[in-house]
Amino acid sequence: MNASDLIDLFPLIIIASFAIIIMIVNIFYRKHEVNAVLAISGLLLAFMTTAGLFGSVPGRTANLLTIDSYALFFMGLFFAATLAITALSYGYNKTHEGSHEAFYILLLIAVLGSAVLAASSHFVSFFLGLEMLSISLYALIAYRRGERSNEAGIKYLVLAGLSSSFLLFGMALVYAQTGTMEFSEIASVSSASQVRSLAMSSGVLLIIVGAGFKLALVPFHMWTPDVYEGSPAPISAFVATVSKGAVFALILRFFTLIDIQADGRFFLVFTIIAVASMFTGNLLALYQNNIKRVLAYSSIAHLGYLLVAFLSNGALAITAVSFYLTAYFITIIGAFGVITVLSRADEEREFLDQYRGLAQTHPLLSGVFTAMLLSFAGIPLTAGFIGKFYLVSAGVNSALWLLIFSLVVNSAISIFYYLRIIAALYEAVPEKMIEIPLPLAGTIAISALMLMLMCLGIYPSQLIRLIQITAATLG
Amino acid sequence: MNELFYISSAVAAASTIMVITRANSVHALLYLIVSLLSVAVIFYILGAPFIAALEVIIYAGAIMVLFVFVIMMLNPGPQSEKQERLLLTPRMWAGPAVLSLILISELIYALTSAGPQAATLRVVSPKDIGVSLFGPYAIGVELASILLLAGLIGVYHIAQKGRQD
Repeated sequence: MNASDLIDLFPLIIIASFAIIIMIVNIFYRKHEVNAVLAISGLLLAFMTTAGLFGSVPGRTANLLTIDSYALFFMGLFFAATLAITALSYGYNKTHEGSHEAFYILLLIAVLGSAVLAASSHFVSFFLGLEMLSISLYALIAYRRGERSNEAGIKYLVLAGLSSSFLLFGMALVYAQTGTMEFSEIASVSSASQVRSLAMSSGVLLIIVGAGFKLALVPFHMWTPDVYEGSPAPISAFVATVSKGAVFALILRFFTLIDIQADGRFFLVFTIIAVASMFTGNLLALYQNNIKRVLAYSSIAHLGYLLVAFLSNGALAITAVSFYLTAYFITIIGAFGVITVLSRADEEREFLDQYRGLAQTHPLLSGVFTAMLLSFAGIPLTAGFIGKFYLVSAGVNSALWLLIFSLVVNSAISIFYYLRIIAALYEAVPEKMIEIPLPLAGTIAISALMLMLMCLGIYPSQLIRLIQITAATLG
Repeated sequence: MNELFYISSAVAAASTIMVITRANSVHALLYLIVSLLSVAVIFYILGAPFIAALEVIIYAGAIMVLFVFVIMMLNPGPQSEKQERLLLTPRMWAGPAVLSLILISELIYALTSAGPQAATLRVVSPKDIGVSLFGPYAIGVELASILLLAGLIGVYHIAQKGRQD
């Protein structure tokens, strides 16, 4: 390791050191505002260094991490997303006394884990990044320590532990077959000697199981609604976006390298998972009255859509995945953002009935919520539309007709429950809701998200150019 | 040497099955110790004596002792004293003892039978481990330290008293 390697690792070092700075500051001075400001400035600084490094020469660092444009793009995305989530959490945490240092430290460590996953090119960093993410999330999910939060935390702990053991066993089998844990070496060994042995396939399958749990794909999705419901709203947003995005970025890198799409059996497995996720997610969301659960099921379906792009090949697939993930990040953080802004830490506003007539008291919030839901449904002028457009064009390019068909059918089904929420927002109710003061940081965050949603929906070419640089490093 | 590997793997699998089927947590722990010891023997046979020693010292030693302490401290009182006396009936310790006996005889055989194990195996010395931990895998060590920090802070928060809603 030399000086230039250290410069490549700067974003990771900044995040780690700010986690430790918060810890040290709390020895002397415990104040919620200070902790939040430190977390936000750490994320901002890391985001700026990531942006500064983007486009520089791809470097390989210390055997475990590859900091290339692909990794930097996703790291930037995760830092920006966590920045929005931290801004939202500030107002949310303020409703409960305490200095909440653990919340911000764990959030920083979780995003560090996802950044490691995005840059990982080795099983060791894969596993370490995943565990950093999961272990911080156990505590964050159970952060409120009520009955439901504890249930959610324990559910996540047990199932994540189980999925990690599947993952480890898969890695062990792949290592036994190829003799290496480096992704590119695994790729060259398995393509050179045509390793198609039973042990190798089972290893890859077990890795799919482990990653599928984190991505909440059917049939590994059982935990999702309960965990989303039990955890604080900003943490639900984090689980839905950064945690899933990090694992997706990693498996996209790994499976593109070993060219898993070319293997008919795995192609079939992924097709079944994708179709099952789309249908299960959307059908279960139809009659939910808890908005957090609706978003949980809808996120299962969205990951199913994302697999369409994953299964198509070529640079277009990576462009589609990156764009769709960005749009999905903005949309789901925005939707959870509205819930967060309206909730208190001890009492969340999560039922559909509590949102009836929101437009009369909070026109801005209901406007943002409507825009987010329309983006989920893929209505033009929103980022969700362009994202879906890319998914379909990537799928058509590789002639994945079954997947395209179920994508279209499911988009139609999903419009029902999105419109059901929008209708409730604009319903005329006899007695007005009590107007509650909105936290400033959270309102700024969701307004910014709304602005980005519209910008990407109307003028996406800037982001697409950025993504094409990203795709070139991997393709 | 293959036979030794298979025997200790069988011991590991058998004792782990016993761990998850025991109703009494102290008995489960006894089997867990055997399971960890058999993993240590596997490491030794595969040519990693240092890791084998670490496995014994850290897992079977420190962590298990901690487990036993916590479980025994959870329910003190005269009733549990009576229970404790019942814990160590021969029927209970016979199983783990037999499995450990197999392991130790394996170990003695491996130590006395001539020289380095199979020719294909390369013995990994403590120096090799240190060099790779602080050379190519330095970032892994750093990340693991942050991982432990996350665990520490998470436990600190969840175990805090009196902030429940």
